[in-house]
Amino acid sequence: MTAFGTLLRQRLRRDRLQLALWLVGTALLAYSSVAAVADTYGSESERSEILQLATASRTILVFRGTPNGPELGAFLFFQIFAWLALMGGLMSTFLVTRHTRAEEEQGRAELIAATPAGRVAPTVATLVLGVLANLALGALVALAFIVGGLEAAGSWVAGAAIAASGIAFVAIGLLAAQLFRTSRGANGAGVAAVVGAYLLRGIGDASGTPSSDLLHVTPAWPSLLSPIGWGQATGAYVENDVAPLMLALGFTAVLVGVVFWLQSVRDQGASLLPGRNGRAAAGPALSNSFGLAWRLNVSTLIAWAVGGAVAGLTASSLSELVAQLGGEAPEIADTLQAALGGGATLEQAFIATFFGIIGVLAACSAVQVGIRARQEEAHGTAEQVLATAVPRTRWLLEYWFVGVIVIVVVLAAAWLAGLAGAATSDGADELVPLISQAALAQLPVSLVFLGLVLLAFVWMPRLTIVLGWVLVGGAAILGTFGPLLGAPDWLTDLSPFTHSPVPTGDDVDWAGGFWMLAIGLVAAALAVASMRRRELTTAG
Amino acid sequence: MTTVISAAGLQKRFGRTVALDGLDLDVQSGEVHGFLGPNGAGKSTTIRILLGLARTSGGTAALFGENPWKHAAELHRRVAYVPGDVSLWPNLTGGEAIDLLARLRGGTGDRAGYAARKQRLLEVFDFDPRKKGRAYSKGNRQKVALIAAFATPAELYILDEPTSGLDPLMEQVFNREIARVAGEGATVLLSSHILSEVEELCDRVSIIRAGKTVESGTLAELRHLTRTEIAFAADGLDPAALAAEIDRIPDAHDLVIDHGRASFTVDSDRVASVLPELTRLEVRALTVSPPSLEELFLRHYGDELTERVAEPVEGARA
Ligand SMILES: Nc1ncnc2c1ncn2[C@@H]1O[C@H](COP(=O)(O)OP(=O)(O)O)[C@@H](O)[C@H]1O
Ligand SMILES: [Mg+2]
Repeated sequence: MTAFGTLLRQRLRRDRLQLALWLVGTALLAYSSVAAVADTYGSESERSEILQLATASRTILVFRGTPNGPELGAFLFFQIFAWLALMGGLMSTFLVTRHTRAEEEQGRAELIAATPAGRVAPTVATLVLGVLANLALGALVALAFIVGGLEAAGSWVAGAAIAASGIAFVAIGLLAAQLFRTSRGANGAGVAAVVGAYLLRGIGDASGTPSSDLLHVTPAWPSLLSPIGWGQATGAYVENDVAPLMLALGFTAVLVGVVFWLQSVRDQGASLLPGRNGRAAAGPALSNSFGLAWRLNVSTLIAWAVGGAVAGLTASSLSELVAQLGGEAPEIADTLQAALGGGATLEQAFIATFFGIIGVLAACSAVQVGIRARQEEAHGTAEQVLATAVPRTRWLLEYWFVGVIVIVVVLAAAWLAGLAGAATSDGADELVPLISQAALAQLPVSLVFLGLVLLAFVWMPRLTIVLGWVLVGGAAILGTFGPLLGAPDWLTDLSPFTHSPVPTGDDVDWAGGFWMLAIGLVAAALAVASMRRRELTTAG
Repeated sequence: MTTVISAAGLQKRFGRTVALDGLDLDVQSGEVHGFLGPNGAGKSTTIRILLGLARTSGGTAALFGENPWKHAAELHRRVAYVPGDVSLWPNLTGGEAIDLLARLRGGTGDRAGYAARKQRLLEVFDFDPRKKGRAYSKGNRQKVALIAAFATPAELYILDEPTSGLDPLMEQVFNREIARVAGEGATVLLSSHILSEVEELCDRVSIIRAGKTVESGTLAELRHLTRTEIAFAADGLDPAALAAEIDRIPDAHDLVIDHGRASFTVDSDRVASVLPELTRLEVRALTVSPPSLEELFLRHYGDELTERVAEPVEGARA
């Protein structure tokens, strides 16, 4: 028992900052969404109309939840629950992998396993930490809802639903750690399970049976296969039925049993799915350092490009729906239009806003390229490359170049998918130039973040990863939520995202784009030039 | 002979840690030079400076007469490097990593020659190139860097504790490869804290400690610094008389008679003068043992070692 206590304390200590950020971040999202919903959809009739529209459209339900009446709490639960559960799922996945498979892969788990703590106590400690983290998450979200003005009983049910689905993902993460040889594989499988659970629930909601007034939907069976769907089935604020959560806990208990059984039959460091062999010699693509930089970034490139394509497709296929909204529910259309930026048609504003989000995606993909450079350095592999005939400035310049390619591919994927989605719509002629301009408008801001992350890499190598994500995340929140939450202009103007050109109508102001293009290029040039004077900075 | 590596008064500080504190190192062309020091002495830091991966905080370093920080990439065409702790790319196989490093070094222009050298090394090092980077053990990761280094011709091989993680059989293979490249005229800088390895391979050694060079020279030159042990069968000799006889030899110290053997030590350059006395005594089963580098080390790090008596010197390989 003392070994368990020590291991749990060690995990808490190691995670305190990271977990605090996840918990507080998710609770803040919950709180600000209560405020935003109360503000934007203040009256019950507005909420009813939105629900009816969403139910009629079906696709919107994929990104929201199960409509369960226009009452404020139920409406909020419909709007935000699946997203919060998604956050909790990701938190759980990363938490579990960090303390299990990653430790095993690094060989640290072997040190622990050789002490009286043994091989099982670390897994138990991870499980307990995961459960505690999700209970805290549920409690904080419930409190955020209550403080936001929602009724207490329903808020606690909503919190419990988030905790229970998160705990189910802890169990899935533990299973993935048993199955996969690497932390990358385990994290990949865990994230796929979380996103899959989100989509299963989305499909279940979208293909469910609506009530005659279109204010309620009974989800179809796919929802019942998803931990997020189980949480949603509580019908918080209306039915307040915690029975579906028993399903999540039962599922967790079964998986945990399987995990301990698997752990007892496998070797330390081994996995149930064996690693595969690869090629014995390098192909022609790996003949220079650029080939290596490309190879190291290509899998993340594909992931971001798929994300870009999904977002682009969603933007253009939903825009038609939004245009209909203008006819059917003018006052909501007005509200939306005001929120999206006046002047343009609702459709244009919608496409511009959605491509703004695609710009955030592209900027994140660029940041990840810079982070990869730092990981190469910290891991020690860059040292071997730089000890060959590759000059350090060229090495960094190649990462910049890969970053540019990644940005262009992500934006092109969004653009092409957007065009494909628009092809079926009536107003395709108008949409095509709009989508093309909106995609192009995201290039400068992405280049700014590419330049910034490389500057961080050269000037503050040990902070590259933190700075990269904080800058892009902070700017994205400021740029997208700042105006909604009523932040002053000078504050939102700090975010490069607010300076992206917004292609609505005929006279588009591209000045911000040209400025950012210049800033992005200057930052990159400065980073490459400073690399001349930069020595290798190993981890630690 | 030309100077391949020269470092004088090298300083390196990391914040408040002083890693190098006036280190000197000279390596002539064609030499296999042992670079000895305990963990944390500053070997890897010196090597990083020589490779232009780190900058000096003071003093000068030159590789082939050029400043390694300013001309890193050109100099690296002539150098093959094996880092102390080899990391591999998790999603590249060992074979891909070997090819990549060799190509980056520019040593694969002669394709058939490179393929043949690589194939031979894969066999002698008994290495499976098809596994992914993360599946290799420390010794196998080391082999990737060693094969990539030995498969490309270089004028200078810089090897940072290259055999850590290799089993004794592989150490023999490694020793043969060093002998081969040295025979072809290459210069080798071999850092190590394992003395026997350096003793077997090196022409000259530099011993460093806490960022300073404490001794430098050929093994023969350094041996004069320690004592040679002379031992013989003591049965049939009267201990008291023997002690009196040995006492009369001017350079003999530390006589011990135990388990039927007598032993004493003598400064290594005075061994010849002791032999006539031993002949006169008609000793049997005589052994003369030159000092090992272990003893050199004990001398230089003796004070440190007595503080940490629990740690055996020979076993401390990690
Ligand atoms: N990047 C660094 N940051 C801080 N201290 C370092 C760094 N690299 C080396 N050191 C310190 O410098 C000293 C020499 O290290 P190193 O050259 O690695 O020794 P060796 O290779 O001989 O074992 C050690 O005290 C080590 O802790
Ligand atoms: Mg070292």
